[in-house]
Amino acid sequence: MTEARAPAEQRGTSPRDAFRRFMVRPESPALVFLALLVVAFSLSSDKFLSGSNFESIVISVAVLGIIALAVNQVVLCGEIDISTGSMMGLCAVAAGAVALSTGGLVLPLLAGIAVGAFCGAINGALVTAGRIPSIIVTLGMLYALRGVILLVTGGTWITGVPEEARVLGTGTVLGVGYPVIILFVLFLVMELVSRHSTWGRNVFAVGGNRRAARLAGLPIDRTRFLAFVLVGMFVGIASIIYLGRAGSVQTNTGTGLELQVVAAVVIGGTSISGGRGSSLAALTGAVLIGVILNGLILLGVPGIWQQGVLGALILLAVATDVLRRRLVGDKT
Amino acid sequence: MSAAAAALRRLSFSREIVLLGVLIVLVIVMSLLSPLFFTVGNLLNTSRFFVEVGLMALGMTLIIITGGIDLSVGSNLGLSSVAIGFSFAAGLPLPFAIVLGLGVGTAAGLFNGLFITLLNLHPLVVTLGTFALFQGLAYGATGAEAVSDFPDWFAYFGQAYFLNVVPGQLFIFIVAVAVVWLILSRTRFGRYVYAIGNNEEAARFSGVPIRKVKVAIYSGIGLLVGMAAVIYTSRVYTARGDSGLGLELDVISAVVLGGASIYGGSGTIAGTVLGVLIIATLRNGLTLAGVPSTWQLFVLGVLLLVAVFLNEFFRRREE
Repeated sequence: MTEARAPAEQRGTSPRDAFRRFMVRPESPALVFLALLVVAFSLSSDKFLSGSNFESIVISVAVLGIIALAVNQVVLCGEIDISTGSMMGLCAVAAGAVALSTGGLVLPLLAGIAVGAFCGAINGALVTAGRIPSIIVTLGMLYALRGVILLVTGGTWITGVPEEARVLGTGTVLGVGYPVIILFVLFLVMELVSRHSTWGRNVFAVGGNRRAARLAGLPIDRTRFLAFVLVGMFVGIASIIYLGRAGSVQTNTGTGLELQVVAAVVIGGTSISGGRGSSLAALTGAVLIGVILNGLILLGVPGIWQQGVLGALILLAVATDVLRRRLVGDKT
Repeated sequence: MSAAAAALRRLSFSREIVLLGVLIVLVIVMSLLSPLFFTVGNLLNTSRFFVEVGLMALGMTLIIITGGIDLSVGSNLGLSSVAIGFSFAAGLPLPFAIVLGLGVGTAAGLFNGLFITLLNLHPLVVTLGTFALFQGLAYGATGAEAVSDFPDWFAYFGQAYFLNVVPGQLFIFIVAVAVVWLILSRTRFGRYVYAIGNNEEAARFSGVPIRKVKVAIYSGIGLLVGMAAVIYTSRVYTARGDSGLGLELDVISAVVLGGASIYGGSGTIAGTVLGVLIIATLRNGLTLAGVPSTWQLFVLGVLLLVAVFLNEFFRRREE
């Protein structure tokens, strides 16, 4: 329950101290694992290490990564959000419908973000004002929002999205795809928010030790509410990228995404019990999932094993996190 | 406080009576919606569908009382189901295949329990992981294929009628209800379960073997999932990896609707059984009224939220 940061005065110069300092960081195991995997896949397949393959990996996880960056904040608050799969579908439906009727890029984007923020606000209000555990709220919303998608679309697909609304999914700037740029810009924004904004600091305090945060007079409910709204807004942004890449929306769009998002966050090293983690963890986790899924394809593993691999990774990640904390003597 | 609020407050103390009232109102509404609903045949037939959810809900009640949760029950049902089907297809005699299915379900639950207790992790993240893992194993190991040529006697578990009207699996459910009720309300183990949910720290200092109890209840729900898998596989006469997909929502909704606090410490078997009956009535009634199954998920999702909200609302009023 305590905020566990590396004691700043323990600065040694020996390799052992350096190793220890590195291992105190929550995202360390994932970074090491990612490096090992990149080396292993590069050795086993010469296609892997090409720049275009790596860009295609990052593009493939952009939607996942953007949502993971926001869910990361919710998890840091000590809550969870497993409604993002259906929410992404609903945002994509809204953005697609607006794109079909008005065209352009800005209006569909705003529609996606607005619908996402609204869904996030419902989640946040039920968790904070309704005092319902976030796992139950978002489990209920996962199914309820899927029902809303069917109500809105009547079960039909949205197809023929105009080109100009698909720019953020398919376009490039200076040879780099928009999804990659958006992902990294949002990552930088979240790192800055985490380090330098009041809300960003409050998130760590609320998740690290809620009672202490309350006694310190921090706005616990507002902090958590805003985290859920942030998830909705990022889901809205991600839905435009999805829309651009896919060009159509089905009623089952986004199914299972919520699991990948939570997997990315915990695999990256953010603690599921809150208060410990970073945006880098969420980004690392998302890229790691992309590298693993891509590597499985290169190795010729059938796609039906993906779900199982994902589950094993979640368990491996949380187990590694426990062992890492025991290694550095963190007694939480 | 108005008289109505006072009456409401008094009523909330006997939650089971409130639930019974909800169930009766629901049955009346459904009878008005569809003339087919209130027939002996349909009511008994409904029990075909709720026994699987009901068995898992019994185990989930104990888990939620300890303050835990198990999101992997639906995936575990699929895994146990394919264990039965594919081991039979590979030449194992069916009785052994059924035992294997029960064993796989129990082993999966044991895995959850050990993982949670040995590493001191939250059940939420562990069972979210095994939710994906079990489903992935069920898909991957079977190549997403199905087995459906079972001998005729296998239908006994899920399709047999007793005296031509009462579905056979109803008896299995009644026995399971009695056993779990006895364990929870009449044994030391049952007191331990409540003690852990009320205050785990205090329970530890009182000498409650927390890890053993937790491993036992997660293995226990695994066994119940295995039983549900046998009945499910027999009822639909098919073993597939995606059997039981999404059932965790029905199960958790039933338990929470039955009055178990998601924060742990309270919950009863009687409440859970009523919760299961309400959800089964709702599902059956909506199906008869021609509501598509995806809409039923919407109704269930909203129902889950409303149930938890009312639970916590009344609990705070009582305090």
